[in-house]
Amino acid sequence: MSYRVTDPCNGCGACGRLCPVDAIRGEKNSLHAVIRDLCIECGACGRVCPVHAVTDPFGIVCTMVKKSEWERPHFDSKTCMSCRICIDACPVHCLSLSGAASPDDPHGYPYMAEEKTCVGCGFCARECPVEAITMVVSRSG
Amino acid sequence: MGKILWVDLTAREIREEIIPDDVYERYLSGMGLAVYILYNRIPAGADPLGPENILGFVSGLLTGTGSLFAGRWMVVGKSPLTSGWGEANCGGSFSPAIKRCGYDGIFVKGISASPVYLYVKNGTAELRDASHVWGKDAIESEEMLIAETGGKSQVAVIGPAGEKCSLISGICNDRGRLAARSGLGAVMGAKKLKAVVLDGKRRIDVHNRAEIKRLSQMCNKWVQFQPPLPSGKGAAYVGTLMRVLPVQMAMDGLLYKSLLKKWGTGSMNQMSVEMGDSPVKNWKGTNEDWGIARSHSVNPDAIRRHEKVKYHCYACPLGCGGICTVQGKYGETHKPEYESVLSLGGLCMNADVDTIFHLCEVLNRAGMDTISAGAIAAFAIECYEAGILTKEDTGGLELTWGNSDAVVALIEKMVRREGIGNLLADGVKVAARKIGKSAGEYAMHAGGQELPMHDSRNDPGYGVHYAVEPAPGRHTIGAQMHYEMFQLWKVMKSLPRVKPLYFKGRKYMADEEKAEMAAACSKFMNVVNCAGLCMFGAFLGAKRIPTFNWLNAATGWHRTPEQYMEIGKRIQTLKQAFNIRHGVDPRSFRPSDRVMGKPPQTKGANRGRSIDMEKMISDYYTQFGWDPETGRPTGESMAKLGLRGGEDVV
Repeated sequence: MSYRVTDPCNGCGACGRLCPVDAIRGEKNSLHAVIRDLCIECGACGRVCPVHAVTDPFGIVCTMVKKSEWERPHFDSKTCMSCRICIDACPVHCLSLSGAASPDDPHGYPYMAEEKTCVGCGFCARECPVEAITMVVSRSG
Repeated sequence: MGKILWVDLTAREIREEIIPDDVYERYLSGMGLAVYILYNRIPAGADPLGPENILGFVSGLLTGTGSLFAGRWMVVGKSPLTSGWGEANCGGSFSPAIKRCGYDGIFVKGISASPVYLYVKNGTAELRDASHVWGKDAIESEEMLIAETGGKSQVAVIGPAGEKCSLISGICNDRGRLAARSGLGAVMGAKKLKAVVLDGKRRIDVHNRAEIKRLSQMCNKWVQFQPPLPSGKGAAYVGTLMRVLPVQMAMDGLLYKSLLKKWGTGSMNQMSVEMGDSPVKNWKGTNEDWGIARSHSVNPDAIRRHEKVKYHCYACPLGCGGICTVQGKYGETHKPEYESVLSLGGLCMNADVDTIFHLCEVLNRAGMDTISAGAIAAFAIECYEAGILTKEDTGGLELTWGNSDAVVALIEKMVRREGIGNLLADGVKVAARKIGKSAGEYAMHAGGQELPMHDSRNDPGYGVHYAVEPAPGRHTIGAQMHYEMFQLWKVMKSLPRVKPLYFKGRKYMADEEKAEMAAACSKFMNVVNCAGLCMFGAFLGAKRIPTFNWLNAATGWHRTPEQYMEIGKRIQTLKQAFNIRHGVDPRSFRPSDRVMGKPPQTKGANRGRSIDMEKMISDYYTQFGWDPETGRPTGESMAKLGLRGGEDVV
């Protein structure tokens, strides 16, 4: 299963530049292709394609979304257990771990370190075992 | 089906191999996958430091599935320290990195002509020149390799100890954590493989992630429950109380978890000495030699004052680790573990906590096992005391008990393999043989592996596992205390129950029930190590950490705990068969006499205790259907597990 780039593709290369695993190949102004074995189904290509040329693994055409309207993770520090699963799950390494929260709470917690890098894939929320992450539109990207 | 990556350093070839489903069904993944590969593919009699030895880096079946505590990776190979099955494991972030590259394990054979590192990213793998980091310490190397590969890689790397093939060297990740035992850093050094650098982003598929999350949330409630605890000093006196009482309270992992959450493993620093669990003065001392007043500098509260932030391994809700601020050139270091504090402290009678912090960082950077280093220093001090080693031999060092500066200087010489350090850098067994005279009497080891900081005269179960495990001298498999905390009888009714309160004398009886408990610990820990779980998580107790349910949810199987334990038994038998194939006599792993109370101590917590280890070892072998005298798996025991003992056992 993977995303696919289909005929309407105009070869603008936006998807390839955003793909976190370099799974999209193609010459400028020509039809691009997704390498199935590399695709991690983050959906970034679909969100950025201006000509609706990307389909998801179920064959549904993806809709372009303005970057400022992409969902991004919001952390509930009371539920978070500092396990770092979200940081590992992030394919673009945009999350990081803070220093000790306070003298009374010596744990570090995940936070959005590089918001511009976030592709809104939601892998962090999907993998969080205790549902401490919700994906929300922050309108700051 | 899963994949492993094969690297031949001699031929400079890299290829993927598909692992059939039935291998996973019979061996799970992680440790089980590793023993299946190594048993079948390392030729009998292979030189551990030669090209035929295979070094494996494996993740766990549950790693990346959302299961808690599933962040352990393992390194495996034929051990140059014991000449048999070798394994070591470590936390941090390296285990999921293996999975994110799309592999369940990375296996390396051959020897490179020059130093290299393996770099894996987005479906490509290549060997790169490592001459610029060869000779640099493990942390510096890790930072350089991360920087030159984009800043986000995970790295397993050897330090100078591994490069110089010290037989007590390990493999480092997460800036100073070490997979330390079995001397597998030397195998990596001999192969001229400086590091494995991983930058994978693959999704990890799970049969039923929602169910795993449900189980994890249930488990997390137990982890986050934190009862009030005494101060560090109070904890030490709890140890005193445990020593003087004639009865023993069965250890509940919930209490131990609470200690870990507050202080880390260092919670036991003084408590263990007080109750007789920690060996002192190269195993000839007692709690009276290293009492609360003398060892106050390593009290858990004293250590915690250095902690600037807690450290969690991947997928760990507990966070027993920490990063500490320290004086001196390094500035900070990982919070010293109990094992490191007691081996570099009480075992050498060293009460200077600053030197312990310093040595931990020195050894982490060198990639050298802190347990073995402390044990070797204690061995050398006793040799010096006995006149077997002289001041001339030591290069002017006054190796006396409690001489902190001398311990530091000695261990730094070991790291550099300089003078007496070169003699000692391959462990106490090798050193005793080279020194000759009566040095062997002072070498505390099992099969060449220096012993951890848990006294078998206090808990004979430790002694059993030191002696019977295919990778001997381990405190991370079983003991009476481990069995009590695992609480396996709550999910497997056929296993012996432990009463909440029992007379201490019961602990020292070499009866069949002890063997059943020990065998259960071995089998269960094999499952834990297949899953990639942390032992401290398993200590929560079988009803609180859903090991078997997680495995079913991750795979889609519907197996019973008993069926998983059968896999653990198969793995243990194949590891034992590995040793037989390589000419290792299991009985040679019997620990040194002193460790078993022969002769018994005349004072202290363990006075008068002598352990009938021979019977306990035989009883353990019987539990697995192995020959009770020789420890060799019989044809019948192999056949029952579907092991043919040939080139391909599946």
